[in-house]
Amino acid sequence: MKKILLPLAIAMVAFTGSAVAADKVRIGTEGAYAPWNFMDDKGKLAGYEIDLGMDLCKRAELECEFVVNEWDSIIPNMIAGNYDMIMAGMSVTDERKETIAFSDEYFPADPSRYAAAKGDEFDFDNLKGKNIGVQGGTIQAAYAEETFKENNTIKSYEKPDQSVADLAAGNIDILLADGSFLDPVVEGSGGMIVYVGPNVQIGGGVAIGMRQKDTDLAEKMNAALTEAKADGTVDKLVMEYFKKGPFYTPAEEEKKAAE
Amino acid sequence: MDWLLDNAFVQDIITLARPATFNLYFALISIPLGFPFAMLLALGKNSGNRLISWLSRAYIYAFRGSPLFIQFFMFYSFALSLNRTLWKPMGIDDIVLHPLFLGPLVLVLNTSAYAAEIFYGALKTVPKGEIEAARAMGMSKWQEFWSVTWPNTIRLAWPAYTNEVVFLFHATVLVYFTLPVINEQKDLMNKAGELFEKDYNVFLHFSVAALYFIVISMMIFFVFGLVHKYLTRHLKKEETPKFRFNPKYMR
Amino acid sequence: MIDTIVNALVGLLGEDWRAGLEYITNGKHMAWYASFKFTLIAAVAGAFFAVIFGLLGAAAKQSKFAPLRWIGSFYVNIVRGVPDVLFFIFFPLAFEQTVEYFFSRARCTAEEIANNAGSWPPCDAAQWYLSGNDYLILACVSLGLVYGAFAANVIHGAMISVPKGQLEAAQAYGFTEKQVFWRFKVRQMWVYALPGLSNVWMLLLKATSLLSLLQIADIVLWADRLGAPNYLARAGLVHPDWRWKYYLALFIFYIIMAMISERVFRALQNRASRGMVTVN
Repeated sequence: MKKILLPLAIAMVAFTGSAVAADKVRIGTEGAYAPWNFMDDKGKLAGYEIDLGMDLCKRAELECEFVVNEWDSIIPNMIAGNYDMIMAGMSVTDERKETIAFSDEYFPADPSRYAAAKGDEFDFDNLKGKNIGVQGGTIQAAYAEETFKENNTIKSYEKPDQSVADLAAGNIDILLADGSFLDPVVEGSGGMIVYVGPNVQIGGGVAIGMRQKDTDLAEKMNAALTEAKADGTVDKLVMEYFKKGPFYTPAEEEKKAAE
Repeated sequence: MDWLLDNAFVQDIITLARPATFNLYFALISIPLGFPFAMLLALGKNSGNRLISWLSRAYIYAFRGSPLFIQFFMFYSFALSLNRTLWKPMGIDDIVLHPLFLGPLVLVLNTSAYAAEIFYGALKTVPKGEIEAARAMGMSKWQEFWSVTWPNTIRLAWPAYTNEVVFLFHATVLVYFTLPVINEQKDLMNKAGELFEKDYNVFLHFSVAALYFIVISMMIFFVFGLVHKYLTRHLKKEETPKFRFNPKYMR
Repeated sequence: MIDTIVNALVGLLGEDWRAGLEYITNGKHMAWYASFKFTLIAAVAGAFFAVIFGLLGAAAKQSKFAPLRWIGSFYVNIVRGVPDVLFFIFFPLAFEQTVEYFFSRARCTAEEIANNAGSWPPCDAAQWYLSGNDYLILACVSLGLVYGAFAANVIHGAMISVPKGQLEAAQAYGFTEKQVFWRFKVRQMWVYALPGLSNVWMLLLKATSLLSLLQIADIVLWADRLGAPNYLARAGLVHPDWRWKYYLALFIFYIIMAMISERVFRALQNRASRGMVTVN
């Protein structure tokens, strides 16, 4: 919804008193999708995308600022001009490509996974009468709608935290979400929440979303991204936040073998 | 006929018809359930028993003093936290946490506090002479209540209660702002917001949603007006408090 | 400073309390406490606008000029006839689009408008950027418009209750009609309007909980974020879903606000009715 859902950070400017500088490049994010982007203890935005976004902006010599926006309106609000880029764990899909442009990926295609409470068993070839939770407007929501709608109930949540809360409380049987988002949940739940069923590959890699007409910005960001991938910055951040990789630089052994 | 269906306004009226039934559903379930509960609360507040009176007062004050929006969030997350220990073992978790159940439940808790205050005010203004007459005739407490106090209370409270019902109907929009949406179950505001996201035509979609609210509110006033006429049929015209079709909408 | 307070409290209560006290005074919680000011600003500014719109609405309703009367009645009846939430969200959007419409008439070419059909605004130049402050103001005006319609009714009723004799006396002293209205009717009606206005204030106070629907980072939004379950140590304390506790705190906050308001209005009423003959 255009501006019905005003970026949170802009609203927060209201109490710091500073005006929004017009020449700043603004990056929209959700701020509730750990470890991609979240609010830390200090009430500040943190996460993989925040660190990466700031690094890329420095390379591209842009002054950047992150603003928070609800997920369900994140694309329309960018098109409406509330911010110029989206870094919110957004996978590249053909449908999204119709309305917005994407940079090169900064995280490879991440399989979606099913999480459930410990002890529950499911027959994924023949899923019936289950409550399946997704976050509204995600690739998983579209997939669940297509695959499970006939015999199951789909509950869509506005916020990812809420879907996890409902899974932990048993209000949904299965939560379908990005593996990278579920990993810390499964790990931190102390064995209460476990992975079930197969991994499913739904979308493409994760990339920066931009308005289609902003080709200059896209070029700058892609150049910065290529540089950051080559010198290992991206891989370092991926390792730090996701304990995965390296994706964009040859691993140590390969390096040695090449020598 | 086709030109009519092609009209964006008519299109919206058709699209929003199904969502409107959700608002109607929430109101139609909550009104009959809230009515007796409110009556009990009003009697509780008026009770000679200090504990009952205090509890009723506290309940009414708390629910009238806090926003329904917060009440919805609070009850949903509270019900959720009891899911594993309570609802699941009882096998009713699918019902308890369903917006079609929890929505009306919170609405009943809320509206009965407002209605109780209205009924309490009416209880206090029941004509003393009529009660004395009942006593003089040797009626028991029970008879006195059913034949004098109760009908007078309802009659006196009816116009204000009608307002409360319309308010309750308006409050149904908060259900899906706070509870998860299941499958395609969406109400008027939900759907209007969704339509707005597609073409940014705020004037069209919100006006049609508003139209639904106004028309249904008018219908509530009409039906409740008929009931009021029935309740006051024994009174002389000039004695009848005027039932204003122009609503006061004051909560 | 907060550390000092925490340390002092720990000294008083014992080491067991340290973790809990540090948790509820971390940056995220401080942001929550700071956000209470949005609620208070919205309530006070909203009430201010509500009284203004209420006075204008009541004046329009009593106007000798029929179209003005119709506008007054239309405003009062339509705004109260739809849910407050609907109007609260509708107004900022409609206002912004109206301004952008005028911008687009001045700044967009016909070609751009044709290319952008089905989307808004018609061209980039017509985009009206709003800062957070602007948006908070719009939210306050929106609250003022909704509850101004309620206030208009109260004020209209109170104006009718002002004893005719007083107004006639003013007229006899040679005041013009306008003077009689603003200097006597409006000044005298407050006493009669106070009970009704206190009711409107209570409604408005409760409506401030809706600020998060306009994505203002208000107390409800922060409570939701704080209570949401967290499983990542890096993002703060790992805890299950605690949202109901935070909402309970807000529930109590609003009840306390209602109690304070009630006291204040009772005192105001006593003050305003000095010298008045009161029954009961």
